[in-house]
Amino acid sequence: MATQTMVRSAPPTGLRFYAWVGILGLLALQGLYSFVVLTTEGFYVTNLTDQVPWGLSLSGYVFFIGASAGATVIGLLIHVFDRKDYAQLGTRAILVALLSLAAAVLFIATSVGSIARSLLLPWFWNNPTSIFTYTSTTYYVLGALLLVQLYFTLKVNRRTASASEAQLARWLAIGTGIFAIVVIPTLSGALFAVVKARDFWNNPALAPHFAVVAVVTGLAMMMLVPIVAAATRRELVSQNTLSHMGLLLAFFVVVAGFFDFFDLLVFTYSDKLAGNEAWHFLSSAHLPLSAVHVVGYVVGFGILVSGLRRSTPWLAVAAIAIILAVASYRYNLTTVGVSMPLYPFIEHEHYVPSLIEFSVAIGIVALVLLLYSIAIKVVPLEGEAIAPKS
Amino acid sequence: MARNGMVIELDRCQGCRACMEACKVENNTPQGNFWMYVFRLEEGEYPDTKVRFLPRPCMHCDNPPCVTVCPVQARFKNENGAVVVDWDKCIGCHYCVVACPYGVNYFNWKDPEKAYYLDWKDKDLVAATGGAIPPYQNPDLMGRYGPQQRRVAGGGHLKGVVEKCSFCVQRVEQNLPPACVEVCPVQALHFGDLDDPNSDVSKTLSRKRSFRLKEELNTQPKVFYVGQSPPGARAREIEAVKAKQ
Repeated sequence: MATQTMVRSAPPTGLRFYAWVGILGLLALQGLYSFVVLTTEGFYVTNLTDQVPWGLSLSGYVFFIGASAGATVIGLLIHVFDRKDYAQLGTRAILVALLSLAAAVLFIATSVGSIARSLLLPWFWNNPTSIFTYTSTTYYVLGALLLVQLYFTLKVNRRTASASEAQLARWLAIGTGIFAIVVIPTLSGALFAVVKARDFWNNPALAPHFAVVAVVTGLAMMMLVPIVAAATRRELVSQNTLSHMGLLLAFFVVVAGFFDFFDLLVFTYSDKLAGNEAWHFLSSAHLPLSAVHVVGYVVGFGILVSGLRRSTPWLAVAAIAIILAVASYRYNLTTVGVSMPLYPFIEHEHYVPSLIEFSVAIGIVALVLLLYSIAIKVVPLEGEAIAPKS
Repeated sequence: MARNGMVIELDRCQGCRACMEACKVENNTPQGNFWMYVFRLEEGEYPDTKVRFLPRPCMHCDNPPCVTVCPVQARFKNENGAVVVDWDKCIGCHYCVVACPYGVNYFNWKDPEKAYYLDWKDKDLVAATGGAIPPYQNPDLMGRYGPQQRRVAGGGHLKGVVEKCSFCVQRVEQNLPPACVEVCPVQALHFGDLDDPNSDVSKTLSRKRSFRLKEELNTQPKVFYVGQSPPGARAREIEAVKAKQ
């Protein structure tokens, strides 16, 4: 078992922190401005069309919903696999999951024509045949579970929790983790997989693929958390634990790579329109992102299974490479799926997000980073973090 | 309860696109929205080419994927079998747009006032038309239809809402055929109850071999094509009408 190291120094303060928060605040504000333009002027300011109605926002949504589900794997490591050395990451993982969920919901909210109605979706209008109904409802459930889990975990951290509350926090971590990893990404994958009109998505392996990629995203993001904390002189986990996390991530990258290969087989050997068209898109307009997808996984995997994983900077490179690979995969999946023409006789439509779309996306990412940066300063994230076993 | 459908005689269609115009005039659709669209297709290689046409309204499927996926039940089949959109419920999530294999859905990207071919607030236009009602305020389209009294005809063409062909619910209610059917100069379009053996559509279907678009997806479209085979794999569109609001 790796040794656990905890250095509880003062939260980061000073000019650098305020500059960081200030920059994020400005980026979030410019995103808000672009969002106001989007809602007042209409979605014609985007580069979306009736042929390509889903773009950068939907890609952002699937990326962050996966990250949200994946981050809960830390709770499972601590409480199911008894890896106490991850304990100092437990509360941060809940925070990352919550903020990623918020980002996903914001990406969805900024891509629908009527935000007010869509936010009321799970409570009022339901269509039991629509996967969308179930995904949105489960996001509310996940959000509620994470909030309750955060509440009791913070009590444990402050040492104000009773024994039963501490047990509850433990079981919430286990339940939320299983729910998040099994239900959330598979339903999100099904959102695309059930669409028979889009050959590129209509693949039964898409839902489990989403689940694996969610774990990859969550683990890669959670690996960056202690690395960034270490840069501000706060050691949350030992190097051995980081190495262990790296190997775990490498395993899931291999599984995600297998699913990518399986996807390639499906659309290459399919006699549907998708085969040639998908290759056309992935090897032409989307080639740079296809390359980032493949190279990111390969570079990340190479670092994680070699001796380089004992070096924190290299681990950071691996985590970033894998996050970029996943983001490219999400973007390609979403936009290639809708860009392929519905009839063989009409022209392809190539979608490139507009500046407004980029601006809104940057704003959302900046907002959640800002909230995270403030939260780790004001919320007691470190402490016992582990409930005593009954 | 009727099960209204359409039969399109491809060997009669001349590709004049009068049906597209009639649809626009009847339903006052904004720029870029073509509830009825006619593909002009070219097949073969020069000099041995031929041109053919494929009118494409909404297929009003018996098993409509857009109704299945709509999270808010804004999509539904009305009492006459037409698949329609409830403007008051649609959240503009585009799920119906991606789920429809026929590309018949159009999102309203702009405010209605800004989405039309003319600026209806322009002083000169107001003077020239004598203050005519702008197309996006057409009272004929503002009504509520069917037993549930839902707003489905296209009145207002609200921003952020997805819209599509409604088989002209406002006309069918008055026992009139859809505008595209009425205006077709060569009577290539037929409309009526598919369950009635004496209807125009049933008789036309019984006379000729028919096909439907993408039947393999089991959407069971209620638009049938007769008179020609489906477009070949090497057909390509010419003279496409592309416009964004």
